[in-house]
Amino acid sequence: MAKNNTLKNLTATSNIENQNKIAYLFILPWLIGFTVFVVYPFFQTIYNTAFQITREANTLVYTYNLNVTAGNFGIAFRNLYFFPQLIDFVIMEATYVPTIIIVAFILAILLNTGVKGQSVFRVIYFLPVIIMSGPVIGILRWNGAGTLLDYEKNIVFKMIMSYSPGLAEALSGLFSNFTMVLWFTGIPVILFLNALQKINVNLYEAAKIDGANGWQILWKIKVPIVKPTAFITAVFTIVQLGTFALNPVYYTIQNSIYTSAAGIGLASTFAFIYSLVVFGLVGIAYLLLGRPEKVKQVTLSSIQRLNMEDIAKRRLKQKSREVVAE
Amino acid sequence: MKTLLAKFGLMKSKTIILKDNTKEYLRTHKSKLTHILSQIIIYLFLVTIAYVFLYPILKMISLSFMTSADLVNPEVVWFPKVFSFSNFSVAWRVLNGSVSLVNSIKYSFFLAIFQTIISALTGFAFARYEFKGKKFLYTILLLSFIIPVPILLITQYNMFNSLYQQLNWTGVGKGLNTYQSQLIMAFFGQGINSAILIMIFVNFFKLIPNDLYEAGKIDGANPAQLFWHITIKLSLSTIVVVFLFSFVWNWNETYVTNMLVGDGIPLFTNQLGKFDSLFGTRSTDPSRPDETSGMQLVESFKMAATVISIIPLLLIYFVGQKSFVQGIEKTGITGE
Repeated sequence: MAKNNTLKNLTATSNIENQNKIAYLFILPWLIGFTVFVVYPFFQTIYNTAFQITREANTLVYTYNLNVTAGNFGIAFRNLYFFPQLIDFVIMEATYVPTIIIVAFILAILLNTGVKGQSVFRVIYFLPVIIMSGPVIGILRWNGAGTLLDYEKNIVFKMIMSYSPGLAEALSGLFSNFTMVLWFTGIPVILFLNALQKINVNLYEAAKIDGANGWQILWKIKVPIVKPTAFITAVFTIVQLGTFALNPVYYTIQNSIYTSAAGIGLASTFAFIYSLVVFGLVGIAYLLLGRPEKVKQVTLSSIQRLNMEDIAKRRLKQKSREVVAE
Repeated sequence: MKTLLAKFGLMKSKTIILKDNTKEYLRTHKSKLTHILSQIIIYLFLVTIAYVFLYPILKMISLSFMTSADLVNPEVVWFPKVFSFSNFSVAWRVLNGSVSLVNSIKYSFFLAIFQTIISALTGFAFARYEFKGKKFLYTILLLSFIIPVPILLITQYNMFNSLYQQLNWTGVGKGLNTYQSQLIMAFFGQGINSAILIMIFVNFFKLIPNDLYEAGKIDGANPAQLFWHITIKLSLSTIVVVFLFSFVWNWNETYVTNMLVGDGIPLFTNQLGKFDSLFGTRSTDPSRPDETSGMQLVESFKMAATVISIIPLLLIYFVGQKSFVQGIEKTGITGE
């Protein structure tokens, strides 16, 4: 018996070791690529920010320069284009992301009500994901196809304009590209719809028996359950809007690589600051949506048990009344 | 007279009954009526949003058929008076269509093949095996999705640049002017949105029952055989999904391509991006120079070019639209 056990253990351990090696073999190309094309460039670019880099006879010459004013960060802060563009980018993210998430959630809820032709709507809403490339959006925007409403003549907009021009500007950025904003909801709608369809229908039934109306079901059941999905969607949208080919920050970074005066060091600094901003935005999304909620877990069985008890009590009362009446 | 009165009374009582009936009907069918009403409102909303989604595309298609006379005619809103196809032939010339189309397809195809194979291998390892550092590697794989492209691209560009110079591999058709840099990155699993593609595979491979692998092991299959005969053969639909996504994303990608490929090879996307500057030199028809020379750049040409550049994508979408939606559902990031 003991012998058998040791034999079993031996085979088991050898099996695990073996699997370890095989797994690494399968993962090897990706792991090499990740180290060479992600980890190394990431730290190298951060390292670059401390240097003035010039290209001489096709080799890069690094000159250490971490001066506060004459260094890369000083130049970056004094750059005429970078910071205004970065602020525009942050405003864009701050207005687009909540809009995209809310619109996608509403669309998903409506599609989930069991309307006929759900798949047709889904196909339409997903279509932009396929055709959305930088030049295509650039041309459509140039043509003004993204503007749908004549919002600038609207009385409400004028009121906001006179009250706070900054807010009006942000809103105008949102509405003048409203169609393009909607185009980013393609994947979020599918994600929300998928999350909603995974909710157990019995949960709604139980809530209805307890006297909850549609509004309460929405806020007490649907919203908390899809909250993790909302976080994933927010992160995805933040990243998508960043890689959105018309992001002006990208072009400032790209252009500064080629100009000899600024060079790679400055471009790296821009990229580094930009990355910090993106990480910050993801962090904010995490604080707002990502933290697990401290809600008492109500299981289905507990609800059902409560209901059963309730029904049993009612029946007992009814019976006792009948007895009294007789 | 009496009969008349009686008749009148009967009528009155009938109307009262009718009134009561409708009241009763309204009372009993209230939920049904509100249901119908809410359905109508939902449909109205969904259709409006769908219209907003499609508006730019429809507008673009309509504009692409318009002559310059139709463009300035205020009566013409959606349907041009004469459907002119000449816009498309001009746009095709400006885009250098026959070359760009082949290049775009070739380029996206090879990148997508590489990405699919490497993502499948990586996904298999993450889904099937327990190994040291698995959780850590999977977490950084997911986290790598949020790293902005420029911070990596600057050093990647320098790396490829110095590599090609050391190999003495520069000049036309070599070095940074072709797409081999991107092919190399795709081969090592670092193409566009690789993290999502790997995630799709991981979640699908996890669904394959373990019993199949056990049975395969008993029959003496090695891991490569298990991978090929069980995993790959069972997940052809997922492979198609990943391939299509990768193809479309690579087709639409412009930023990395701009840096690493530049003007080296004409692609639909980079030709469309420079449409305005290319128009002057390429718009003239070489066979009939006097008829088309001095052509004005109007938006119809641009729209026609845009339509041409998205037609291949639309074809792919309408063939595989179900797979696209399922692919996003398969990432499994909504549950678990």
